[in-house]
Amino acid sequence: MINTEGMVAETAAKIYTDLCGREVPHEAEAGQYPQALWDALAENGLPLAWVSEDNGGFGADYDEVFGAIWVSAEAASPVPFAETLIANWLLDRAGISIPDGASTFALLDGNAASVPFAGTADRVAVYDSSKNEIALYKTADASAADGQALSPDSDTRLDFSTATPVASAATNLSRRAVEPLILTVRAVQMASAIEAALNLSIAYVSDREQFGRPLSKFQAIQHQLAVAASESAAATMAATQAASALARNADDPEKAWHEAVVAKVQIGHSVEAVTVPFHQVHGAMGYTQEYDLHHYTRRLWGWRDTLGNEHHWSKLLGAELAVTSPDQIWKGVTTGAWIAS
Amino acid sequence: MQRFNFPVVQPDPALEELRSELQAFLKEERDAGNFRPEPECWMASSDTEFSKKMGKRGWIGLTWSSKYGGHDKTALERYIVTEETLRAGAPVGAHWIADRQHAPMLLEHGTEEQKLDILPRIAAGECYFAIGLSEPGAGSDLANVKTKAEKVEGGWKVNGQKIWSSGAHISHYMVAILRTSPADGRNRHVGLSQIMIDLSLPGVTIKPITDLSGDAHFNEVYFEDVIVPDDCLLGEEGGGWKQVTGELAMERSGPERFLSSYITLETALHQLRGKLGSDSHGRLGKLIANLRTLRGMSWGIANLLHQGVSPETEAALVKDLGNRLENDLTLQVRALLNDLPEEEWSDEMRRILNIGILRSPPNTLRGGTTEVMRGITARQLGLR
Repeated sequence: MINTEGMVAETAAKIYTDLCGREVPHEAEAGQYPQALWDALAENGLPLAWVSEDNGGFGADYDEVFGAIWVSAEAASPVPFAETLIANWLLDRAGISIPDGASTFALLDGNAASVPFAGTADRVAVYDSSKNEIALYKTADASAADGQALSPDSDTRLDFSTATPVASAATNLSRRAVEPLILTVRAVQMASAIEAALNLSIAYVSDREQFGRPLSKFQAIQHQLAVAASESAAATMAATQAASALARNADDPEKAWHEAVVAKVQIGHSVEAVTVPFHQVHGAMGYTQEYDLHHYTRRLWGWRDTLGNEHHWSKLLGAELAVTSPDQIWKGVTTGAWIAS
Repeated sequence: MQRFNFPVVQPDPALEELRSELQAFLKEERDAGNFRPEPECWMASSDTEFSKKMGKRGWIGLTWSSKYGGHDKTALERYIVTEETLRAGAPVGAHWIADRQHAPMLLEHGTEEQKLDILPRIAAGECYFAIGLSEPGAGSDLANVKTKAEKVEGGWKVNGQKIWSSGAHISHYMVAILRTSPADGRNRHVGLSQIMIDLSLPGVTIKPITDLSGDAHFNEVYFEDVIVPDDCLLGEEGGGWKQVTGELAMERSGPERFLSSYITLETALHQLRGKLGSDSHGRLGKLIANLRTLRGMSWGIANLLHQGVSPETEAALVKDLGNRLENDLTLQVRALLNDLPEEEWSDEMRRILNIGILRSPPNTLRGGTTEVMRGITARQLGLR
C-alpha cells in the first residue's frame, strides 16, 4: 500500500480534487492546458519535494512523495508532475539550479532519447551515462520525431545532437542509481492507474444493463474483473515494495535497483492482463474519447515503455539471475536482498 | 483510499536466524538421504519419522503455549519454517494440516483436557489430522454436506461419508463439518457443526484413493453409527459454516499457495546456472519478479494476521494468483531446460519435474477452486 497520508500527499490530494475533476483531462486533450492545476502544485512547492533544501527544495523523504504521485495518477494528471519531480531530482543531484515550470527527463542513448510529456514540459533534464553528465535543455531546442503518441504524456523520440544545453554539470551518479527512481515513480503511477480503471470498470458493469440485468451479475464479467483485481493488487504490492526499497536506500539508490526492476517487470507484464478485461467489460463505450477509461489505459500502454519495455527488463533481470546462485535468488525472493552482502 | 491493503514488512534478523537453522537441518537431512525432495510436499509427501524430527527441533507448534507443548512463538516464525520446508520439498505432509489448522482450532474451541492431551502430541510431530469438508455431493457447493451427526446420550452419532481427505490413512483425527440439524428452508448454512472424530473409533472405514500418478495420499472416509463424545463438538452447535469459512480465509494466503512447486525451479536453477541462453533470460526474470511480488503479498498478509487483522479479499487474491503462478512455474522450467542438452539433465531434475506435472491439477482445486475464489473476490468487489 502506498502511503497517502502525510503533508505532501495530502496537499497534492487536495489540489487534484479541487483542480483536476473528471473533465480536466478531457479539456487538456482538447487543447485547454490546466495551468491553474500546475500553478497550485508549484505554489505549494510540490515539484521541488525531492530537491535539497540548499537548492531551494524541501528534501522530502521518498515515500512521502510517492503518495502524491499515486494521487496524481489517480486523477490522470494532464500536467507533468511526476516527470518534473524526476527532472528536478536529477538536476539537484548535479547541483544545477532548478528552473521554474514543468520539466521532463531523458536518459540519453547516443544523441537521442525517448522522452515523456515532451509536448508539454518546457525543459528536459538529460542524463548521459556515457559522459557522466547531467544537462538541462529547453525541450523546444531538441528535434522531435513525428509520429503517433500513445497518450498525451507518452514518450516522444527527441534528438539532442544540434541542441545546446542551458546548463550542464558532471555527475558521479551511475545509470543504475538513476533507474530505480524513474522505474519506481512509473510503477506507482501504473499501480494507481490500474486501480482507478478497475474502479471505473466496477462502476460501469454495476450500472450498465443487458439481457434485463446489470452486467455485474454475469459470472463471465465477475471473473474477468476478479482476475484484473488480483493483478491490480499485485501491481500495488510491487510498486510499494520498490518505493520502500528506495526509501531505505536513499543514500545509495543502486541498492534499490532489483526491487525497482521487479516492479517494472511485474507491472509491465500485467498491463495486458488488466487493460483487456477493462475494455472488454466496457464494450464500445470504453473505446470512445468521450468516456474516461482511455485516460488510464492509454497511459498504461505508454508508461510500460518507460526506459524500455517489460520484455527488455525481464531479460536484464534474468541475465543477472542466470549467473546468480540459487541460494541468493531465494534470498532475494524472500527478503529482497538480491546481492550477497 | 486504496482498495488493497498489503503492507511491506522488512525481514527481521531473529527470523532470518531461524531460517538459517532450518536450511542447515534440511540440507543435512537431504544429503543424508533421509528424504527426496518433491513438489507439492505439504499435500503429497508424508514421512512420520521426518515429522517427529521436526517436532524434536521445535518446529511444529511454534505458535502455541508451552503449557500445551508449543513454543510460544508467532505465526511469523511458523511462516519461515513453512516456506523453508516447501523450498526444500521436504516430506512435511503428515503434520502440516494439524499444525496449520486444527491446533489453532483446538486452542480456540477445545476443552482443557483435549488441549493438554492432543496439542503436545501434535507439536511432537506424532499426532496428525485430516480435513473433513468435501463429500461426494458437496465439493465447491460445500453447504450441501449430507453427513449427519445426531444427538444421542452423551454424544453424537455420525453417519455418512467424506472424500478427498488428504492423509486420513495416517491421521489420528478428522475435523469434519456435519449436519447437526436440518437446513432452515433455503438457508443451508444453518445447522452445520464442526466435530472432531477419533479415526480409530468403531464404525470408521478409511479407503485410500489412488491419484493419477499411482500415489495414494487422499481418502474416502465412511462413518457408520460412529459414537463421538459430546466434547468433540468444536465451537458452536450450528455455527460450523461461519467457522469453516473463517478458517479457509485464513489459510488461503500461506506460502503453500505459491511455493509448492518452487523445488522444481530450484533444482533447475542448480542445473542451469550460467547456461541459459538470452531468450530464456526474459522468462526467468519474469518468473522471479512474479515470485517476489507474491511473496511480498503473502508475507504482508501474514503480518496483518499476526496483528489480528483478517484481510479476506487479499487472501483470496493471493490464492488465485499463487495457484496460477505455481502451475506456470512448472511450465516455465520445462521451457528453460531447453537450454541444456537433454543428456545433461540430472535424473533428479527429471524426477522432480515429472512429479510436479503430475501433481499440478489439484493446485487450482484444493482450498477453494479458482472459480470459487473469483466468486469470493467478485462479491468483495461489490459485483454480486
